[in-house]
Amino acid sequence: MSIQPAVEPSTRQGQLPPARISGNIVARRAQKRRALEGSAIFGAQVLIGFGLLAGMYALNAIGGNLLMPSPTSVARQSFIMWTDGTMLAGLGQSLTVIVLGFLLSASTGIVLGVLLGGFRVLGRILDPFVNAMNSTPGAAFIPLIIVWFGLYTEAKVVVVWNAAFFPILINTTAGIANANKELVEMAQAFGAKRSTLFWRVMVPDALPSILSGLRIGAAISTVGTVIAELTMAQSGLGGLLAAAGNRFQMDRYFAVVIVLMALGTAITALLRYAERRLGRWRVSQANGR
Amino acid sequence: MDASLQPIISLRNVGKSFKDGQVRALENISFDVRPGEFVSLVGPSGCGKTTLLRLINGLIPADEGEILVLGAAPVPGPDLAMVFQSARLMPWLSVAGNIEFVLRLKGLGASERPKRARALLGAVGLRDFADAFPHELSGGMQQRVGLARALAVEPKVLLMDEPFAALDAMTREVLRKELLQLWARRGMAVVFVTHDIDEAVLLSQRVVMLRPRPGRVDDIVDVEFPEPRWQNDPRTLPAFKQMREYLWGRIHDMVRDGAELEELAGAFGDLDRAS
Repeated sequence: MSIQPAVEPSTRQGQLPPARISGNIVARRAQKRRALEGSAIFGAQVLIGFGLLAGMYALNAIGGNLLMPSPTSVARQSFIMWTDGTMLAGLGQSLTVIVLGFLLSASTGIVLGVLLGGFRVLGRILDPFVNAMNSTPGAAFIPLIIVWFGLYTEAKVVVVWNAAFFPILINTTAGIANANKELVEMAQAFGAKRSTLFWRVMVPDALPSILSGLRIGAAISTVGTVIAELTMAQSGLGGLLAAAGNRFQMDRYFAVVIVLMALGTAITALLRYAERRLGRWRVSQANGR
Repeated sequence: MDASLQPIISLRNVGKSFKDGQVRALENISFDVRPGEFVSLVGPSGCGKTTLLRLINGLIPADEGEILVLGAAPVPGPDLAMVFQSARLMPWLSVAGNIEFVLRLKGLGASERPKRARALLGAVGLRDFADAFPHELSGGMQQRVGLARALAVEPKVLLMDEPFAALDAMTREVLRKELLQLWARRGMAVVFVTHDIDEAVLLSQRVVMLRPRPGRVDDIVDVEFPEPRWQNDPRTLPAFKQMREYLWGRIHDMVRDGAELEELAGAFGDLDRAS
């Protein structure tokens, strides 16, 4: 203990300049390592992609077109469907249902969620009903929705609403009910009235939770749309899927699946981006602590 | 009696219980705070210091006794301002936005708020950070914003709940000095809760020592050192040493009493920590 302080300064002095130089080298090495890692990941992904294509070719060669279409014919069908407008029309119909259903479930889910989170008693009264509805598979209500709303766009929008409404509602309610008590007390101490407390502290504090509810809701909207299009009047991408499947046109079927994949990915990415933009303080806070 | 000597805060036989009266937090608390006075509430954990502050702020009602702040029952508002142990800034608002929030509660017009907020940030040395978000600041800087926010409403009473306890020793030292300077300049009454005896003696003109379980007033001592204290550090004075030794003596007595009680109750839980 008593010797160390005497030795330490001299060694520290001796090491300082080389430490700075090696610091530069360390930074460059870390950069190189990161770049290498990035290209390795991308390379692996490309490899897996090729593997999947090769697998499709192999299955096609063994089992024929019904078991697995060859990627070339999927590409050809994709080109045909995009150029003759089939895909665009289907995509348009599906997007109409997704967007309308999502907007409807988002607006009703957020408004009701804010009420349920803000008025505890109301939240407690409705809790078992919300839970029961949320635990019921959305598809269970399709026959009822057909009877009530028919088979066309408005009925499909209702199916989507029924599926996406509850995750948005539950996330909003939880976000507001679990608002940061310390901040609420702070605002109270400075004399904030109930309405100020609610709109300027609790609701903004719940925003990240509301946004993750919206992200889940959007993903479910896509699922709900396809299910509605498969089970009700066939239309949109789901309708194309069913039509191709029923005629065993697997190349056509795969062309539609690829569009659905891209659509789902794009919607999730968009909402993740919105979530990060609007809730960036929470993201960086989580990283910082 | 001179009107300026009328207490700004007055507590008479105040009591408070929690959990439907099962836990007695405070019992028979009486003391006054004069306008512009710096009073510290000191005591071991479990003596109800924070509860007492929340009572004075009007966040919770007293079960017994009477609390008068500015001659009336306390109501949360711009006459009283609280600084908490953590800064409690709203993370979605900029630093200036956090201060504008309380200026709005005070009823200041929208056009005036940004200018006032910036002036206050200048007072705590954070003018350049007005547009930063709280998470971009260090703990000490966040606590400075908390202090600026409390000063923003121009309170007659500043309530501080262990405001420096979560900071590192160096930051704490700097902020104590700044607090003394701000207090000297603005002359509001300060009620400062701490469990740090040195801090209480260093900052305050009067120390209210509390005993735990239930919280009661153990002793009230006047602290007279040459002012301003940020220039003449009283910690080198023999009187400072005497004062802290006296207060530590009281704490040790309490712990001894507590030890006997806990032994009788068959509970040994937090004795080691208390001593």
